Amino acid sequence: MTAADGVLAAILLGLTAYAILGGADFGGGVWDLLATGPRRDAQRGLIARSMGPVWEANHVWLVFVIIGLFSGFPRAFGVLSRVLVLPLALALLGIVLRGAAFAYRQYGRPDPAGRAVRGTVVWGRVFAVASTITPFVLGVAGAAVATGQLPADGSAGALAPFRSPLPLLAGALALATCAFLAAVFLCRDAEMARAGPGLVADFRRRALAAAALAGGLALAGLPVMWADAPALAGRFDRAVVPAVGSVLAGAAALILLWHRRFGAARVAAAAAPTGLLWGWGLAQYPWLAVGAVDVASGAAPPATSTAILVVLATGMILVTPALALLLRMVRRAGPIERFGDASADSRDVTSPAEA
Amino acid sequence: MLDNLTAAREQMALSLSFHIVFAVLGVGLPWLLLFAEGQALRRADPVWYALARKWAKAVAVLFAIGAVSGTVLSFEFGLLWPTFMERYGGVLGLPFTMEAFAFFLEAIFLGLYLYGWDRLSPRAHWWTGVPVAISGMASAIFVTTANAWMNAPVGVVESAGHTVVAEPLAPFVAPTAGPQVVHLLVAALMVTGFGVAAVYATGLLRGRRDAYHRRGFATGSTLALMLAPVQGVVGDWSSRAVARYQPVKFAALEGLPRTSAGAPLSLGGIYDPATGQMRGAIDIPHGLSLLLHANPTAVVSGLDVVPPADRPPVTVTHLAFDLMIGLGLGMIALALAGLWLWRRCRATSTRWFLRAVVLAAPASVGALLAGWVATEVGRQPWIVYRLLRTADAVSTQPGLELFLYATAAVYAVLTVSLVAILRRLATGAPADLARRPVEVHQ
Ligand code: HDD
Ligand code: HEM
Ligand code: HEM
Repeated sequence: MTAADGVLAAILLGLTAYAILGGADFGGGVWDLLATGPRRDAQRGLIARSMGPVWEANHVWLVFVIIGLFSGFPRAFGVLSRVLVLPLALALLGIVLRGAAFAYRQYGRPDPAGRAVRGTVVWGRVFAVASTITPFVLGVAGAAVATGQLPADGSAGALAPFRSPLPLLAGALALATCAFLAAVFLCRDAEMARAGPGLVADFRRRALAAAALAGGLALAGLPVMWADAPALAGRFDRAVVPAVGSVLAGAAALILLWHRRFGAARVAAAAAPTGLLWGWGLAQYPWLAVGAVDVASGAAPPATSTAILVVLATGMILVTPALALLLRMVRRAGPIERFGDASADSRDVTSPAEA
Repeated sequence: MLDNLTAAREQMALSLSFHIVFAVLGVGLPWLLLFAEGQALRRADPVWYALARKWAKAVAVLFAIGAVSGTVLSFEFGLLWPTFMERYGGVLGLPFTMEAFAFFLEAIFLGLYLYGWDRLSPRAHWWTGVPVAISGMASAIFVTTANAWMNAPVGVVESAGHTVVAEPLAPFVAPTAGPQVVHLLVAALMVTGFGVAAVYATGLLRGRRDAYHRRGFATGSTLALMLAPVQGVVGDWSSRAVARYQPVKFAALEGLPRTSAGAPLSLGGIYDPATGQMRGAIDIPHGLSLLLHANPTAVVSGLDVVPPADRPPVTVTHLAFDLMIGLGLGMIALALAGLWLWRRCRATSTRWFLRAVVLAAPASVGALLAGWVATEVGRQPWIVYRLLRTADAVSTQPGLELFLYATAAVYAVLTVSLVAILRRLATGAPADLARRPVEVHQ
């Protein structure tokens, strides 16, 4: 194993973290879009409350993947940027709009006198719609490089990634997975926040539905992959263990959800896309974009890869405890007092002496 | 129709200019927060506490927009300049990888800070702000280092267009890194200071003369005005580094067409590429030679040291540079005036001074952007000085023009909403404080 392989593994780990944590945030937006029924506002409130403190940190995983890729695999970054122009530009648009919209919605909401900043309602919708489009195009981008139909110079055209069935299916799968993850996480958050059985039941129903959809799409994907991504299919033997793990984890998540064991269901739910990503990564290795660029031709000079690996390891040692601290604080959040009001800091200002 | 190169450059200029405004506030505001909250803790003082809470909200919104606009940049590096990334992504890798971790720490601790007011002990809460402030500065240092390397690349060996050996630490030892980093950090604190001061100066001008407004004003203006003269000295250091490592850029900054002994200092003016002359500039004879070498007859290199194809667009570079210097000198003058008024205890009651501070906020952003335009346009036609031409680095995908328009439209919309939210945040002291103005004497 070379230093470049190490960097690649770190990127895959970063991608996994983004798929799970960032994915759940996107899924939150999807459920915001689909919020219905008598508890519609409560659903949206819970989503905002769960995402508020963590979405920025979750978003950094994406930045981490991008930067890891262009530092560790500069040539591959160039090639991927050329062949995936359209899906990446769309994903970028979605990411920008979603992030900005989330912040604007939160800080533009009605003040104590009941006046919202103009446009706040619209930003709420933008948040939901952008959260739905982005995972789809990211899924398209991810699967398009596996098809081997995109020459390195980008000459297949900007629309090429959307032209074969596998990427489209993968986009749908990514979307369903995000929705599934979000719903499972929200079940747990609703329970912890003592939000009442109604809200828990809402998200449990949604989680079960999304699980069925994601599972179905994943199974449907297998034959499509055989037809569309022969390079992957040829190396499927490497992916068997993680793929089976993914299926088992998905099934376990369903069972746990059914029995309302939401804490354990979270873990199982996170394991399902993890298995999928790792299986995919193993089957595609050493290609970074099939037929266009591989690890050897895409990597930075060895001294750089080694230096990057050292920085990655050191950085993770710094970041991990901090992340744990943040998650612990969020968990410790008490029951919901301020519904629809995602952050504690909108409270009236009180002095520390009074507090 | 814009050609790809122009579209990509304009897009880069737009998205970097947008990002830098949030980035510098992300660098500066956390320090002010730490100061205000520290005062609140030490003195159990509700006014400082109210200021800290208010600034924290501004940080939250600004950080979110800083994060998304920064993400845009990291995609754009690939989407617009794939060849640049292919060849030098690895060289810039180390600072950018470190930057990613700085972002991580910043985002994580900001989450703790913003959501921890009521969940952490006051002291622990203050401490969660420390890594935010440090990593904000660190990320600015790392990116500026990368930029310094593009200006004065060192430590790469290439063969047939591929980087074969890259000194991993190269960006950190780029000779322009020192002055660029320091100059930028000072600029960040100045922009933050003036921005904060301007909000409270507006309140003071409208007659809200309570402790809340006076302290807000004093904190911001003291920071910014103290740094104004420092920035002049650092800027001088920067000029010397540019003169030494990028003589052609220096000639463009100064508007000096020909290498000459006893070079004049030109102020303003437009460069005419056909005749190779500056038109309409005010020349101070021997000024440049004196400034640079403390010798009225010293030789200074002009644009003519390289063929025309290797020269940057002179007029833009020169005017942007003059604008920055002019604004910088104006701020130094304002600092002197502020010192004089402060000694007479009239700094918060002199209306023209308050008005000038209100104007200094956009002026400092202007100087910041002008400085960057001078730096970046002055590097042309190179994306990496003398190693890779911008024209050779640009993407060949069709439709970059549309990408530019879409970006401009999205940023316009984001700006409108952001201004609306910040305006609401800026309206006055929290109700319970406004009712009891406290007199303070420093
Ligand atoms: C508040 C903002 C501000 C102010 C008041 C000044 N500058 Fe500046 N300047 C910047 C903000 C800035 C900047 C935006 O931060 C730049 C762009 C790139 C960089 O490293 O710093 C810059 C670049 C920059 C450069 C080019 C560096 C390069 O290309 O590597 C020089 C020579 C100076 N400055 C010199 C000065 C001088 C002599 C000033 C006298 C008062 C001055 N600046 C005031
Ligand atoms: C000198 C110019 C720059 C400075 C001083 C700077 C500084 C910062 C700072 C302080 C932040 C934190 C966000 C905030 O506080 O608003 C930030 C965010 C970011 N910047 Fe920049 N930046 C600069 C240029 C760039 C460039 C050229 C890139 C492109 C690679 C970039 C990429 C990013 C990214 C990806 C983020 C988001 C990180 C997150 O998700 O939190 N920045 N930048
Ligand atoms: C944040 C403050 C910055 C501003 C306002 C800024 C401004 C600009 C402008 C005006 C251009 C277009 C120049 C032209 O084509 O005539 C440009 C180009 C560019 N800048 Fe910057 N810049 C900033 C910081 C940075 C940093 C920190 C980096 C890299 C680490 C960077 C990398 C680039 C690249 C790659 C280009 C495109 C190629 C080129 O035109 O040379 N910039 N920038």
